[in-house]
Order: sequence, then C-alpha cells, then structure tokens
Amino acid sequence: MDLLSNLALGFGVASSLANLAFCLIGVLLGTLIGVLPGIGATATIAMLLPITFQLEPVSSLIMLAGIYYGAQYGGSTTAILINMPGESSSAVTAIDGYQMARKGRAGTALAVAAIGSFFAGSVATFLVAIFAPPLTAIALEFGAAEYFSLMVMGLVMSVALAHGSVLKALAMVVLGLLLGMVGTDVYTGAPRFTLGMTQFADGLNFVAVAVGVFGIAEILRNLEDEHDREVMTRNITRLFPTRDEFRQMVGPVLRGTGVGSVLGILPGGGAILAAFASYTVEKKLSKHPEEFGKGALAGVAGPESANNAGAQTSFIPLLTLGIPANPVMALMIGAMIIQGIVPGPNVVSEQPELFWGIIASMWIGNLMLVVLNLPLIGLWVKLLTVPYYVLFPIIMAMCSIGVYSVNSNPYDLFAVAFFGLLGYVMSKLRCEPAPLLLGFVLGPLLEENLRRAMILSRGDPTTFVTRPISAGLLVLSLAILVLVFLPQIRKRRDEVFTESDA
Amino acid sequence: MTASKLIGALFAATILTAPAFAQGYPERQITMVVPFAAGGPTDTVARLVAERMSEDLGQQIVVENVGGAGGTLGAGRVAKAEADGYTVLLHHIGMATSATLYRNLAYDTLNAFDYVGLVTEVPMVVTARQDFEPADFPAFVEYVKANADSLTLANAGIGAASHLCGMLLMQALEAPLVTVPYKGTGPAMTDLLGGQVDIMCDQTTNTTQQIKGGTIKAYAVTTPERLDLFPDLPTAAESGFEAMQFGIWHGIYTPKGTPPEVNQRLSESLQKALADEGVTKAMADLGTAPSPAADATPEALKAKLEAEIARWKPVIEAAGVYAD
Amino acid sequence: MSTKPKDDTDIAAGLLLMAAAGFFGWQSLGLEMGTSIRMGPGYFPMVLSGLLFILGAVILFKAFGRPDDEPFGRIAWRGILFILPAPIFFGLTVRGLGFVPALFITTLIASQASVRMRPLAALVLAVAVTVLATLVFSYGLGLPFRRFGPWLPL
Repeated sequence: MDLLSNLALGFGVASSLANLAFCLIGVLLGTLIGVLPGIGATATIAMLLPITFQLEPVSSLIMLAGIYYGAQYGGSTTAILINMPGESSSAVTAIDGYQMARKGRAGTALAVAAIGSFFAGSVATFLVAIFAPPLTAIALEFGAAEYFSLMVMGLVMSVALAHGSVLKALAMVVLGLLLGMVGTDVYTGAPRFTLGMTQFADGLNFVAVAVGVFGIAEILRNLEDEHDREVMTRNITRLFPTRDEFRQMVGPVLRGTGVGSVLGILPGGGAILAAFASYTVEKKLSKHPEEFGKGALAGVAGPESANNAGAQTSFIPLLTLGIPANPVMALMIGAMIIQGIVPGPNVVSEQPELFWGIIASMWIGNLMLVVLNLPLIGLWVKLLTVPYYVLFPIIMAMCSIGVYSVNSNPYDLFAVAFFGLLGYVMSKLRCEPAPLLLGFVLGPLLEENLRRAMILSRGDPTTFVTRPISAGLLVLSLAILVLVFLPQIRKRRDEVFTESDA
Repeated sequence: MTASKLIGALFAATILTAPAFAQGYPERQITMVVPFAAGGPTDTVARLVAERMSEDLGQQIVVENVGGAGGTLGAGRVAKAEADGYTVLLHHIGMATSATLYRNLAYDTLNAFDYVGLVTEVPMVVTARQDFEPADFPAFVEYVKANADSLTLANAGIGAASHLCGMLLMQALEAPLVTVPYKGTGPAMTDLLGGQVDIMCDQTTNTTQQIKGGTIKAYAVTTPERLDLFPDLPTAAESGFEAMQFGIWHGIYTPKGTPPEVNQRLSESLQKALADEGVTKAMADLGTAPSPAADATPEALKAKLEAEIARWKPVIEAAGVYAD
Repeated sequence: MSTKPKDDTDIAAGLLLMAAAGFFGWQSLGLEMGTSIRMGPGYFPMVLSGLLFILGAVILFKAFGRPDDEPFGRIAWRGILFILPAPIFFGLTVRGLGFVPALFITTLIASQASVRMRPLAALVLAVAVTVLATLVFSYGLGLPFRRFGPWLPL
C-alpha cells in the first residue's frame, strides 16, 4: 500500500539519530520558551527561527515543527498555572484549567492536557497522512461567504463560553469585535480607531490583549488583598488523574479531536475556532454544565485536544498548497524558502522524504512531548509554591520581553498596560474576558469576509444561503442558538407559570 | 555566549557615544531592519544577503523585523537611527510607493536616507484561476477588456506588490476590474486556487510553485525579457504593453549622514554577497536573480528610488487610493 | 441603604459599555459608511457600536430592582500603580537604555506592587531576572536587542 510505504519512508527519515535529536531539541526548546508567561507559539518560533537556518532542510523543519508543538504545549501550561494564555487557543484552556489549578488540581489539569494533546496529535497526524490531498480540495471550496457563515457559527458558540450573564457575554463579544477593527481597513486603507497612532495601523497585538485581559487582570486581583490570598499549593491532592477522571476525559478528547481536525484544515481562521468550538460542544453535552468555568475537566480535555488536532491539520494547506493557515505557518514557509524549498503543490511529489519525514516527525514530536511533560508536571506544579510576590515580577518581565520580541513595537507594551487595566475593571464588573478575546479574533475575519462576499456576489445577500456549505453552516448556527436558548426560555416560562400560580 | 563576545559587547557599549568612524568599520554587530514580519518574502531576501554579508564584514548582521503600516514604521525607525552604519534598512518598492500612498509619513523619503545598493528585482506574473478561458496573453487581453465589469482581481492589500501590479494592469488594459483586497498573499492565493476570484498579478516568489504545479494559469511576465524560469511565458511588452514593465526591487539604505566610506564598504560587501553561488541559487528558487554589481551601488539605488517615486505618483493618484 | 435594591456592579458595567459604544460610534462617524454592496470602513463598526449601546442599556435597565449579590470589594490600587507602568517603562526605554538596564528597572518597578516585597529581596530578584533573561534571550537566542543603549554614557 502506498500509504504504508510512504509512512515507512517518513519514519525512516524522521528516526535517523540526528533528526530525532533535532526533534527533541525543538520540543524541549519550544516547551521551555513557550512556558514563559506571555510568550506563545508565534513569539517562540519567531525567536528560535534563526537557530534552524544552519541545519539541513528536513532537520530544520522537523526541529521547527517540534518547537511549534512544544510552544503550544508550553503555552497551555502557563494558561493553566497562572491564567496567562499566549495564544488564542490556550485562552480557552485558561478558563477551566486555571480554575482547576486554583482548586489544587493543577497536576490533573496538566496531565489531562498532555494526554489529550497526544491522542489528538496522533490521530490528526494520520489524518494528514491519509487525507491531505482530498481535504485540501474541500478547503478550497471555502470562499468568503462560507468563511463568513463559519465565523457566525463561532460567534453563536461564544455565548456558551459565558458562565455568568449571557447578556454581558454578548456585550463582551461585541466589544471584542470592535477592538478587532482597530487598525487599517483592508479595503480602503482608512485607519480606524487608531487615534492617529501609526503604530496601531496593523491592529492591536493579540498577545498584548490576551496577556492584559487574562494575566495582568489576574495579578491585580491577587494583589487586592495579600493577607488572605488563597494558597494554591496547600491543597494539591495528587498529580495524576484518577481512573474515574480518565473515564471522564475519553468523550471530550474524542470529540475535541474530531472538531479540531476538521477546522484546522481551513486556511485563514478555521483553527482559531477549534478550541472555542470544542468548549461549546462539551458544555452543551455535559450533564453538569454549571461546572464549566469553575474547573470542569472536560473544559480542559476537549479544547486542548481540539487545539492540538487543529495544529496538526493546519499543516495540510501548508504542505499541499503552500498556503499558511496562521502566523506560525507563515514563519514555517519563510524557513522553508530559506532552505531552498518553495512550498507548493509539488512538494509531495518532488520531495517525498521531506513531506513524509515531517509528517512522521509530527507523531514522534508529540510522543516526545508527552514523555517529557508528564514527569515535568511535578516541577511545574512546584512552581506554584513560589511565593506570589516573587512570581509576578518575573511574569511581568517575561511578558514584556515576549510581547516586544514579536514586532519590536513599544506600543504593543502600552497596549498590555491598557488591556491589563481594562481586564481588571471588567473582572470587577463581572464581565468575562474569554468572549471578548473570541470577538477580537473573529472581528476582522467576520467583517472582511462579509464585505468580500458582498463584492464577489455583486451585492446579492442571498449568496450566504444559495451556496450550500454556507447555508449548511448558517442552519447549524441556528440550531446551536436554539439549543442554547431553549432551556432558558423554558425555564423562564416555568418561572412565569409558578409566579402566576402563587 | 563566550567571554570574548561579552567583552566585545561591553567594548561596543563604551564607544556608542563616540562619533562613528569608518576606519575599522564594522566593529560590532550591525542591525538590519526589515520592515515586515519574519518569514515573509522580504525577510527571506534580507536573511539571505545578511548571512553572506556578515561573513565578508566579519561582524554579525542581525535581522530585526519591525513590521507595520506597510513598512513605513520600520523605515521610520531607521530614518531616526544614528547614522553610524550600525543600523541599516532593507526595503522593497514600497519605499517609493509609500511616499505617495501615505500622505503623512513620519519621514521624508528622499531626504532621510543614504544608499547602499539594489539587492534584487523580483519579476511579476499575471495569473488567473486554473479554468480561466483565454488560452494566451493576447486572448486574455481581449477577454478581460470585454468582460471587465464582471471579472474580479485579487490583491494582497493596499501597497502590496499585487495591488501595484493590478493598478498597472487595469490602466494598461483600460479595464476597470472589480478589485477584491485580501489581508496578505496567503488568503488571496487560496481564493485564486479555489476559483473564488479570477485574476491576480503577483511576484514569482508567491506564484512559481503554483504555476509549475498547474493549479493556476500564467499569462505574462512583467520583465523586459522572458524569464529562464518560464521560457514559454511572453512578456507583457511583447503584446505592446510597455508600461507593464516592473518588478519588486529591494534596496539597502542607511540613515542620512552615514559616512560615505561606510556606505561604500557595505556596498562592496553587498556585491560580494550577490555574487555568491548560494545566494544566486536560493534566489533562482524564488524566481528571481541578484542585481548585477553595477546596480548594487549607492548611485544606482538613489537613481532607482527617485525614478520610481516619480513613476508611481501619477498611477496611485489616478487610482485614488491612499493607505493612511 | 436605599429603599429599592439595585445592582451597582451592573449599573457600572452598563454605563461603561454604553460609553465604549459611544466612543466607537463617534469615531465611526468620521469613516465612510458605503452601501451594503460595497461597505465602507465605517459600516460594520457603526452597526456594532449600535448593538453594543443597546446591550449596555439593557444591562443597565435590568440592574434596577435587583440586589447586588457580589459587591465590588477592594481595589488593588498599589497593584495598578506599579504593575501597569512596568511594561510601559520597558517599552519606553528598551531601545534607549538597552535591554539589560530596562529589564532590571522594569522588574524592580513590578516588584514594588506587593507590600510583602522587601527592598533587598526586590533588588536580588531584579538582578537574577535580568542576568538570566540576558543569558537566555540575548546570548542564547540572539534576539536583536541592544544590551546597553545609546542613552548610557558608558
């Protein structure tokens, strides 16, 4: 069989001693840098990219891929331990992961994240190997109308992210959408909401916003009353999940893997939705939706699996089309070009060792990650025993470096301070940061694709319902909306009835 | 990492306030500002030459990506940097077009910089979706002229290579196509591959692999001569569109007031780097070639910048688009 | 206490959201609206501002007649005073002073946010963070930061 011989070729390339070593170095470096607060996968790769230039093409890409998974995993670790997501996907992990950590279940949360990621990564790797070409064809069917409908679905899902008032969550999404508009308008070049600062011409930096509304707001909350702050470390029960917890995570991991694999294929924004979508699914299916936002295991297992599966399958458009699905992939393309490989549809046939070598190394990298990180969990959890007043100056120093390193733009650091304040005020007003962040990520995509779809259809709004994929997504969104609101309406009606009875 | 490097750094720090002398230049690490994100085509070009130039200069050239606002943020930073030869800028054609596209630039393009030399000029290719009807470039011209208002033209955002080329194409053909802007080449190319848009004119850097893979159709190149890469593709000039000659040229600049000896030293080093086999090969893979030694000089770059500002001003003003 | 219960937190949230909507709406006024076929840069933001304003108003409205079950609590003034300026300071000085001094002072500023931090401990911490970060980022990863900037008369 073709697939088997191809995979054999790939594993042959990837398991050479040198390549194994580079994969290990990549995973290790990625984890170590990615685990620093405020430094996510993009910043990590941007920092480590030049190191790989001296290597052979295959080795360098294997190492880069390793850095990518490592950084992503490291980012989840900081999201769980100190509520400091460095990437949009780990923002979802932060919601319940951090709550678990606060309840002394940091070890469990980290283990669940590691195991879920590994499983999802393995499955998605094989999906990439088997289905790369046909899946690419589907991804190309996605035009502006389809992306718009997909983003609408994402927004509908965002309601489920809220564990408090739905109304406030909606307001946060809209505020996020508006913040996402900051910068130069793609269509006319007009600057919007930049207050005359060209430094914001390309929009607000995601890491600055995420670090501000999640991490810094959390530091400020902890500084409110230092005398009776809850000590996380006191009540750590155990590091590894119990048999029961393993049983609980099977479903979320499987579903997360599915959701993530599918959305990861779509270039330009699909993967961003993966973690959010999985969270929504889990909350909807859970028997205890009230636990979400307060440390639900499924709220970590699902999104982490989805996010890792999406990370794998986002290699599909890169390898088969030469098109980057996210900023990290764009960096990978740069790395490939420097190595003399121009990514495109021919890479598979012209450089089979490279193509299959990378695919095989993905799985090896994931394996290394889980092997490395399960023992490290104890160490990470120990980190929580560091007194908080020692920890947070370090956090501030690291996130200053991390945010600055991406674009060397001091205004990104000013944005960190501003969003830190905003995040703190929001938390005081019981508004949640996750919906805001989702809106922020989706805002530009939503508007861009809406406007593009209207241009392409010559101003005919029926384009959203006459194109089958788009129509399907909209129907799905409607169904989700009904599912979310139906119980509430029913409850309200019951309340009305009981009141009138009284 | 080593003690000598540390001493070097301390030493470098001590002479920072002293006026820059060209003797013994360079004595410390040089920063090459690339006004775009890491991993993009401009960054790639920069890293290629920076590596070879470092070998020749005996000092490391570190690439710093200062992205934002169509490259004007990075250029602005270099304009304000010390004119000691330790901060240089690698920018492309955007240096010339931004002088018109941005009506309130923080620097005066013609008076804020000194020149080192041209690096490369990347050719453009007129492409269309795979199943686009016309068979060759003359037929393409006919077809586009006849169906202008129903055809769509993708570009990667205001000021991008594809935007500039699109403007030229529409003016040359006198065909006002429906322009569809994207944020970057990636999504624009995806939609061209998927047949969601009809036409795009972009750099070989972005199109070569797709053309060779047969996933998009190529019609013409914008170079004076045919390319070795695509010997069968005619030039636009062959069909009488002389105005459609242009490429994405890259140049290296220093802040105004840099000692001429320093610019000269950098220029020599650039010429050596461009003559390097590895660089030539890497550029060939991207569908371009290093600029000849005669162009890798301060004079040539200065002349190019002035000519290009004058050339694009009317084109941009006629299109009436501005990026501020 | 007032006679009628009201949720002060939500009143503040509603007012703040309405203010934000006002800001974005006001800024959108200067942008071209366009038509729904070819939407201008102001179209979408205007629609969103309107929506945000309505949501803010509803939150405000619903806050009356309901007690505040989780009041404001303390505010971390000292934290705000020291934590927020830290990244700003780093941004302002990393190029002028250079990476090493900028990071050192940034850490020192941030460490002042806690009342528990003793001066000597803060100094030790700042030195340790600076040394480690310089080794890792500047020497190890070769990030293009100048270690000591032109402002220093070294």
